[in-house]
Amino acid sequence: MGRKTFLYEEHKRLGAKMFDFAGWEMPLQYTSVKEEHLNVRSNSGIFDVSHMGQVFVSGKDSLAYIQNLVPRDLADLKEGKAVYSTLVNTNGGIIDDLIIYKLPDKYLLIVNASRVENDLNWLLESKNNYDVVIDNQSDNYSMIAVQGPKSSEILDKLGLKKENQLVRFGVAETSLAGIDVILARTGYTGEDGFEILVKNEDASKLWNEFLDKKDFGLKPVGYAARDTLRLEASLLLYGQDMDEKTSPVEASLCWTISKDKKDDYPGKQVILDQIKNKNYKKKLVRFKMLDKSVPRHDYEIYIENQNAGQVTSGGFSPCSSIGIGLGYVDTAKIANTFADGIKIDIMIRGKLHPAQITKKPFYNKNYT
Amino acid sequence: MTIDMTNVLCTKSHEYFVKEGDILKIGLTDFAIEQLGDIVFVELPEVDSKFKKGEVFGTIESVKAASEIYLPVSGKIVEINEKIQDEPELVNEDCFGEGWLVKITDFDESEFTKAMKYEIYKGFVENA
Repeated sequence: MGRKTFLYEEHKRLGAKMFDFAGWEMPLQYTSVKEEHLNVRSNSGIFDVSHMGQVFVSGKDSLAYIQNLVPRDLADLKEGKAVYSTLVNTNGGIIDDLIIYKLPDKYLLIVNASRVENDLNWLLESKNNYDVVIDNQSDNYSMIAVQGPKSSEILDKLGLKKENQLVRFGVAETSLAGIDVILARTGYTGEDGFEILVKNEDASKLWNEFLDKKDFGLKPVGYAARDTLRLEASLLLYGQDMDEKTSPVEASLCWTISKDKKDDYPGKQVILDQIKNKNYKKKLVRFKMLDKSVPRHDYEIYIENQNAGQVTSGGFSPCSSIGIGLGYVDTAKIANTFADGIKIDIMIRGKLHPAQITKKPFYNKNYT
Repeated sequence: MTIDMTNVLCTKSHEYFVKEGDILKIGLTDFAIEQLGDIVFVELPEVDSKFKKGEVFGTIESVKAASEIYLPVSGKIVEINEKIQDEPELVNEDCFGEGWLVKITDFDESEFTKAMKYEIYKGFVENA
């Protein structure tokens, strides 16, 4: 089996079914996927996301160095704020997706567990003459996510200082229940919520401080529900919905690309050319099933009875009780129009099942 | 719906069947359903289709994954449970009662020999 997080014993004690995820032994579910999912939407859930990687970048050239790695312009990124972006290679392919947090004296990059090594190699290769220190702290930090509409109240109960109350995508070094943490108002569920970095030795204590706040209905959530939650919110999963052969344009992540950014970054010409001339072969679309069937990873997408692409993430949406998915469609087959409502079919066990492209995320909450 | 569990026979692949006159009622065991989790969709065959013992006759979709379901005894489908098409959660709530899957005829009782009584099956899954 894989590596264990510092919360492994807590998961066992809570009766979680464990499974291997990106080389880590993680909780798949504690009770029922549907129940855990819906509890995050209506109350709040707590997740162990300690497998994720944390890399700090400090030194006087930090900004210039990171600017030269990502398609998003960070010039206006203020201290105490974060943005979602991608690391791209010279072909415009996505090395990883990440959140970049600006702390008082350094940047924090939170990256995917499966990509820590690749990312580090890339970060070190790109260091050149920049005066920066790249500090991989992945093995020293655990990470807990608290997600759902009650999250903010729960943090108040744990004594979050007024001055550290955060806006969406805010970040601060603070303390919760007397434990030092880096607190960010980010997440992977489509809900309001927080991601909390905590030193390994304090992880269990903080986890249990949260679980003791039962009056808000906070319950632990496994990876099966984490996957249905992120799919409903149309959030991509690295390695499944995007990889080094996919550009952020193809992955429908244009909103993470600053078109007027002056700084150079790898793959910039490819990416800008793709945006301007629409010359890419595939594009990520969201779709929902029009019957009761459930699309799954690797099923084929058909348009007018022709094979036109592949489902990369699929599943059942517990909130809307239909099958939903993300997949890549061959742009030649769909004449570059990705309008809402276009009818497609998904091949499921030898039969075509009707589906429809949808522009809006399956679940979209307006939170402050 | 109550069912006399002493009449239920189970297979190692976690289907059950109960003889009701000339008909065999078929479903998935409580153990199988617990493993699958929340059932969201059940794809069942057409009435009158024929399957051999061990053949895939349908698919059961849980929130987590799609799983094939195997016919425990050869026969002809005479009825499918229409109710679970609209209420798949019945399979979770009452797999031996309202959450049955299909009914077959034209079966041969000589194929029953390897199946286990429910009590023995329970011991089998607990020790597995």
